[in-house]
Amino acid sequence: MTWLAIALAILAAGLAIALYRQRREFGKLKRWVSQPRLTDPPEAEGAWGEVFNLLHRHRRATLRRRRELARLMVRSRRGAQALPYGVAVLDAEYRMDWCNDAAREHLGLDPERDRGQPIVNVVRAPEFVDYLRAGEFAEALRLKSPGSARTLALQIVSFGDEEHILLSQDVTGSERVEAMRRDFVANVSHELRTPLTVLAGFLETIQDLKLDASRVRDYVSLMAPQAARMKRLIDDLLTLSALEHAPAPPDAERVALRPLLERVRAEAEALSAGRHRISLEAAGADDLLGAEGELASAFVNLATNAVRYTPAGGEIRICWRSGTQLADGGAEFSVEDTGIGIDPEHLPRLTERFYRVDRGRSRETGGTGLGLSIVKHALARHQAMLAIESTPGKGSRFIARFPAARLAPARQKVEG
Amino acid sequence: MGVTEHISKQFEADLDTTRTRVLQMGGLVEAQILAAIQAFATGDAALVAQVIENDARVNGYEVAIDGACNHIVVKRQPAASDLRLIMAISKIVTDLERIGDEAEKIARMSKRIHEQGAHHAQRFPAIRHAAQIAVKNLRQALDAFARLDAASAAEVLKEDSAIDDEFRSVLRQLITYMMEDPRTISASLDTVWVAKAIERIGDHAKNIAEQVIYIVKGTDVRHTSFADIERELSKE
Repeated sequence: MTWLAIALAILAAGLAIALYRQRREFGKLKRWVSQPRLTDPPEAEGAWGEVFNLLHRHRRATLRRRRELARLMVRSRRGAQALPYGVAVLDAEYRMDWCNDAAREHLGLDPERDRGQPIVNVVRAPEFVDYLRAGEFAEALRLKSPGSARTLALQIVSFGDEEHILLSQDVTGSERVEAMRRDFVANVSHELRTPLTVLAGFLETIQDLKLDASRVRDYVSLMAPQAARMKRLIDDLLTLSALEHAPAPPDAERVALRPLLERVRAEAEALSAGRHRISLEAAGADDLLGAEGELASAFVNLATNAVRYTPAGGEIRICWRSGTQLADGGAEFSVEDTGIGIDPEHLPRLTERFYRVDRGRSRETGGTGLGLSIVKHALARHQAMLAIESTPGKGSRFIARFPAARLAPARQKVEG
Repeated sequence: MGVTEHISKQFEADLDTTRTRVLQMGGLVEAQILAAIQAFATGDAALVAQVIENDARVNGYEVAIDGACNHIVVKRQPAASDLRLIMAISKIVTDLERIGDEAEKIARMSKRIHEQGAHHAQRFPAIRHAAQIAVKNLRQALDAFARLDAASAAEVLKEDSAIDDEFRSVLRQLITYMMEDPRTISASLDTVWVAKAIERIGDHAKNIAEQVIYIVKGTDVRHTSFADIERELSKE
């Protein structure tokens, strides 16, 4: 009996010890697993140690995967953030999930507070609501940006399980260019048609009616200036297009300034035919580096403009200063007149093609509406700036400012 | 359990749909004001016709949303914040509809002003400026409604006085014109109506902002000074 009792006691004690150990190891496991950071597994013996090691390996792999995923997500978000387009991710019901800064700026979305909100709750423009409803996303939708003068192109791109991306792009600039191109074509057609109508009218008259020779001569003499005007316009258009497409002007080719200025004066005097006093002052001994033809057409345009817009008896001063004469060491070509002047409101648009302060007047003086565009283009190609100072009724001063880099000391004339 | 959850989900969906519809009506009304002001500046007859035609759509929204509100009240008997939302929505819709009417009025007046001589309208940058503030306020009030943002709604209440200032400056300007040249009186009077309509749009935007505060905070801030409202909002 006693040996049975002793055996039982030993068994009980053994069980108690085993149970205690199990509990201790379990406690270790619990403490280890509940630590927020991944640490090395605690020492343990036998099967427990194996379990600890297995678990440790598994946890490490999971953690690595999770870090990898998080990094991937941060990277793709950063990528979307850096896009020059507005990007908003929408779910199947067009609720907003995420958007980048550009979308916030374009559409007034709030990445935090608009989460889960139907996009039409914030982008409420009826056109956009109709666009979503129609579900035809092949073409982008043009929309005025809410609260600013910008034009946006919006487009929905579908991906995955009926999820969508709303792309927005600022197209204000390209829209303006498009409008300018349209205006330009319309203006050219109009400018060419006016003289052509006159020509066609006279031709018809001459054809249909039996006119005596002197009458025909009269008509032909009226037709000639119209043909000349058309030719001038086409010449100017060709100059402008050549300026736009030609390679950059050479900066090593020297343009002798004296003869150029004399030529400008001669052309102005030819147009004036003695109706104005025209003077030429030149100070500084520098030549310009660049394309002679372009510079000549810019300077001649400025000088003949002055003649056109100055009443008979007025004064026109053509002036050149360069080098030490100016603070920045650059050069200045200016034409000053005592003409009708220009209202300040017209100044910003003056160099636009076919922009006219007074339509009737400039055509009657023979302008094509392209002169100042040519000047601006030709000067810009030489890194020069056009400045205009004007007082209505008193006169104007057009100044072309060249940087010092475009100057070269004039060659001494070698006699004999 | 499953059934009540289903019902409350359906209820949530109904409320959300109604909210979105109110905001869409707001978007339409906003577009109407912009078009009307554009018509005022340019005298574009097609635009005038478009604004007048679209006002029927605004009215359609009002009727439909009111119907939806009644439906929700009868069927769901909402309580507490849901009831507040429904009540506020039905008031906001009334304000939006009035704004639509004001936009139509501006369009009609613009037509008359331009028929009397187009040069007059261009002289009023102040009117266009006031209109910009009014549209901005309306947009901010609607944004606040979408986000249930009481602080942003409170800003609208403060901004409204800027429109009133612009309105008074337009009046002074018009009086000067009328004294200088009596021939402009008729066009000037029409312009006064346009300015008045913009001022009213500002007031309606303010009403909407007040309703947003009511939805969020449950306090009625109508006819309350701005300082009191701010104090009310700052205590949570």
